[in-house]
Amino acid sequence: MRSNLLRICFLFLLCTPLSWAASGDSADTHESLLSNGLKLIVREDHRAPTVAHMVWYRAGSMDEVNGRTGVAHVLEHMMFKGTHKVKSGEFSRLVAAVGGRENAFTSRDYTAYFQQVEKSKLDEVIKLEADRMSNLNFDDAEFLKEIQVVMEERRLRTEDNPGSLLNESLMATAYISSPYRHPVVGWMNDLQNMKADDARDWYRSWYAPNNATVVISGDVNPQQILKVVEKYYGAVAMKELPVRKPQIEPPQKGIKQVQVRAPADSAQLAMAWKVPRLEPGKLDDPEPYALELLTAVLDGYDNARLNRTLVKQEKVVNDVGVSYDMISRGPELFLISVSAAKGKTVAQAQASIRNALEDLKKKGILESELKRIKVRILSDQIYKRDSIFGQAMEIGTTEMVGFSWKDIDYILEKMQTITPAQVQAVAKKYLVDEGLTIAVLDPQARKSEASKEGK
Amino acid sequence: MNALKNSILVCLITFGYFATAHAILPIEKLDSFKGSKGYLVQTKALPMVDIEVSIDAGDRFDPSGKSGLADMVAGLMNYGVKGDQGILSEAQIADEIADLGANISLSVSGERAILRIRSLSRKDLRDRAVKLAAAMLSLPTYEAKIVEREKQRIITNLLEAETKPEFVLERRFTKSIYGNYPLGNTPTVKSVAAVSAKDLIQFHQQFYRSDRMIVSIVGDVDRAQANEIVQTLLQMIPQSGNPIAKLPELQRSPVEPLGQREIQIPFDSQQAHIAMGMTAVTRSNPDYFPLLVGNYVLGGGGFVSRLMAEVREKRGLAYSVSSYFAPGKDTGIFKAGLQTKSDQAAMALEVMSSTIAKFITDGPTPSELLAAKSNLINGYPLRIDNNRKLLDNVSSIAWNDLPLDTMEIWTKQVEAVTLEQVSAAFQKYLAMDRMKIVVLGAQNK
Repeated sequence: MRSNLLRICFLFLLCTPLSWAASGDSADTHESLLSNGLKLIVREDHRAPTVAHMVWYRAGSMDEVNGRTGVAHVLEHMMFKGTHKVKSGEFSRLVAAVGGRENAFTSRDYTAYFQQVEKSKLDEVIKLEADRMSNLNFDDAEFLKEIQVVMEERRLRTEDNPGSLLNESLMATAYISSPYRHPVVGWMNDLQNMKADDARDWYRSWYAPNNATVVISGDVNPQQILKVVEKYYGAVAMKELPVRKPQIEPPQKGIKQVQVRAPADSAQLAMAWKVPRLEPGKLDDPEPYALELLTAVLDGYDNARLNRTLVKQEKVVNDVGVSYDMISRGPELFLISVSAAKGKTVAQAQASIRNALEDLKKKGILESELKRIKVRILSDQIYKRDSIFGQAMEIGTTEMVGFSWKDIDYILEKMQTITPAQVQAVAKKYLVDEGLTIAVLDPQARKSEASKEGK
Repeated sequence: MNALKNSILVCLITFGYFATAHAILPIEKLDSFKGSKGYLVQTKALPMVDIEVSIDAGDRFDPSGKSGLADMVAGLMNYGVKGDQGILSEAQIADEIADLGANISLSVSGERAILRIRSLSRKDLRDRAVKLAAAMLSLPTYEAKIVEREKQRIITNLLEAETKPEFVLERRFTKSIYGNYPLGNTPTVKSVAAVSAKDLIQFHQQFYRSDRMIVSIVGDVDRAQANEIVQTLLQMIPQSGNPIAKLPELQRSPVEPLGQREIQIPFDSQQAHIAMGMTAVTRSNPDYFPLLVGNYVLGGGGFVSRLMAEVREKRGLAYSVSSYFAPGKDTGIFKAGLQTKSDQAAMALEVMSSTIAKFITDGPTPSELLAAKSNLINGYPLRIDNNRKLLDNVSSIAWNDLPLDTMEIWTKQVEAVTLEQVSAAFQKYLAMDRMKIVVLGAQNK
C-alpha cells in the first residue's frame, strides 16, 4: 500500500549513501607503529569526556595445541593475578578507584583487555596495562583457585547449556584438523589437567608488543596519547613469536552429522556449510560480501525469508537464526539454527529450510530485498558511532584478523555493489551437501524435574 | 562537540578525584500533551534520534490467572495495525521498519511497557518511523490467528525455559519475594493459554492511554521537533478511560524461621544456582544513595566487591557472584546470587550469607567507602557518554519522578554519603532473618 513512497525513499537513501555514512572516520583515526612492533590506533571522538582503551593480542584458542585447549582463556583470567609490581587483584582495584570499567575476552582469533575511563584517567590505565604486557607474575596457589573459577565458567556456560553443547559438537564435527574444532573455554579434561606452567608458557610465547595492537577511542589528543603510549608500552621488549602452522582444513567430502542428547524440551537443528571468508589483500572478492548479504536476506529483519516462511507461515520452527562472519583468522561456516515448533520434528524443520533455500537458488532474490538490507547497513554505520567502546571493538576485531581499520569503509562500500545475481550464485555454489554438517539436539527429560510446578 | 557547546549547565565537581569540569547536558521538559509527559536531551553530533515511550502497563497489571498478558499486549503491537490508510500487516510493518533503517523494540518489565525507536534524524525518515510507532501504540489489531500463533510460540519457549536452572530459580525466587502481590505470578503455560485476543484488546484499551505515557527523546532534534514527535505519537490514543483499581502495597518480607524462608529445589544440573533477597526500597527513597554506595562494596563493584573476594577470589567457588538493589517507582528488591558446582552449594551459600550478614552488621570500612565513592564519582561520565545511555537516564528520571537535575547532582549525592548512613540504611532495610533463600540443584554429600 505504501510501495510508491517506499521506493522513492530507498532510491534517495541509496543515491547519497557514503557521503553521510562513512564521513570523518579516516580523518579522526591515527595509526602509529612503535619501534618494538606495537601498533597503536587512536579514534578521536570528542562527544563526551570518556575513553576506551583496549589491548588486543593476536593469540586465541586457534593458536593452542591438543591437551592444552582453553589455555588462552585461562591466561586471560591469570592476567588479573599480579605482576612484579602490582599485587594479585590490585589491577582491578586500581582501575576501580579511577572509576573505570574493565574486563577481558578471549575468542578463537584473539585475546583482548579493556578499560573505559573518564579521559583524565587514561594514563593510569595505560601504565597498568603496559606493565602486565611483560611483568606478569602469579603464584601456583592463585592458579589453583582460578582454574576452579574457569571450570565453574564452563559448567555455567556450556555443561548446563544444551545450546552451547550442540554448538561445541557442531564445531568439533565440522572441522577435522583446523583448531577451530576446539571450544574457546577448552575441554573440561584439559582444564582439569592444566598446570600453572601451561599458562606461563602461553604468556611467554604470545604476549609481546609485536603481537599486540592498542586501540584507544574517545576524547583524546592523538599526539599527546602517542607520547604516553611510547613511554609505557614502548619500554616493553620485542620477542620472537612462535611459528604459526597454517593447519588448513582439508576439503569436506560429504554430509557429516552429529547428535547431542541433553536436558531440554525443544529439539534443535543446526545446519552449517563450509564457505569462504574475506582474505586480506583480496578485498574485491565478491563472494564473502554476497554471503554476508545472504545472511541478512534470510534473517536480517522480522520479515526476512526464514522468519516469514518457517516461523510465521509454516509454523514448523519456533525460532530461527542465521550467522556468518566474513572476517576471521580461521575457516568460516554459514550457519542456520532453529528450534523446532511444538509437535514438529527436526526432519520437518530441515525439509522446510531446504525448500526455502531451493526456492532462493532457483528464483534468486528480489532487488527490493537486497536494497532493504543495504539501507540497514548504511543506517547501522551511523548508529555504531554512538558507542565509543563499539568503535574500538570494530577497529580491534578488524585488525586482529589481518585487515586494516582503513579497510572497514571499503568493505562497506563494496557491500553496496553486490547484485541479487551474486547472492543467488553463492547460495547455489556453497549451500550444498558436500560441505554440510548437521547437528541435532535430541531433548531429554531431566532425572529430577521440579520445574513443572506452578502451571 | 556541538552537543557539549549547546549545553547551558556546567557542573563543577567538587569531589577531590575530578581534575576537570565538564558539562552535563540538560533535560528539557516538553509541552504537556493529552496528559502525557515528555522530556528531551538535545545531542547534535550524530544525525540520529532515540525515542522511548514508557507506558504504565507492566506485568503488575496482569489479571489473576493470565500472567503474560501485559507482555503480549506490548510484544504483539507490531504484528498488525490499523493505519490511517487501512490495515498494515505484520509483514508490511517489518518491511517498513527495515526500509527506514530504523529499529523499533518492545519490552515489558514489572512496572512498565517500553517502546523504543532509533531512527536517523532526517525528517522524512524520522516522521515515518514515528507515524508507524504511533499506529502500533494506538491501533494494534491483535488478530486472533496471529495471537494464537504467538501464544503457541510463547508456550514452547516457556516449556524450554522450564528445563533451565536459571529460569526455574528465578520463577521460584520471584514467587517467594512477591507472594500474592501481582508480580509474584510469572507467566506459565496455563496462564498464557488462558489469554485470548479479546483480553489483549481489552487490556490495551484499559492501560494504553496518553495519561499513562511518558515520552523521552535524545538526539538530533530541537524542542519544536520533539514536541511534534510527542504529538504525532500520541495523537490517536485516548487520553483517559475508566479508573484503574489501585494495586495492593507490596508487604515487607516478614521475619520468619529459616525453614519457612528457604526453599530447596532438587534439580539435576552440574551447578547449583542460589538466590537470596528481600523487599527493599523505591528509587526516590532518600536512602537510595547510601544503599547504592554500600552495595558497591558488598556485591555491586565487579571484581572488587566483598562477595567477589570471598566467593571467587579467595575460594574459587563461582564464576559470577553479585548483589544488587532494583528500586523502581514502587518498592523494589535486594537480591544476591551465584552458581557453583552442585556439591559445593552448602559451602557457597554459607560464604554468601555470612558475607552479607557481616556487612549488614558492621557496614563498610572507611577505606572501602572511599573506594566505592571514588569509583562511582570518577566513573559517572561513563554512565552518560552516549545517546543510548542518556536515554536510559532520562527515562529513569522521568519514570521515577526524580528531579530534572538528577544527572547534575548525582556525584554530589554520592559524595555526601557517610559510613553511618550506609550502616543505618542497610540495617533499616535488610535483615538476615527476613531473607528469602532459594537453592536449586544442591547435592549434599
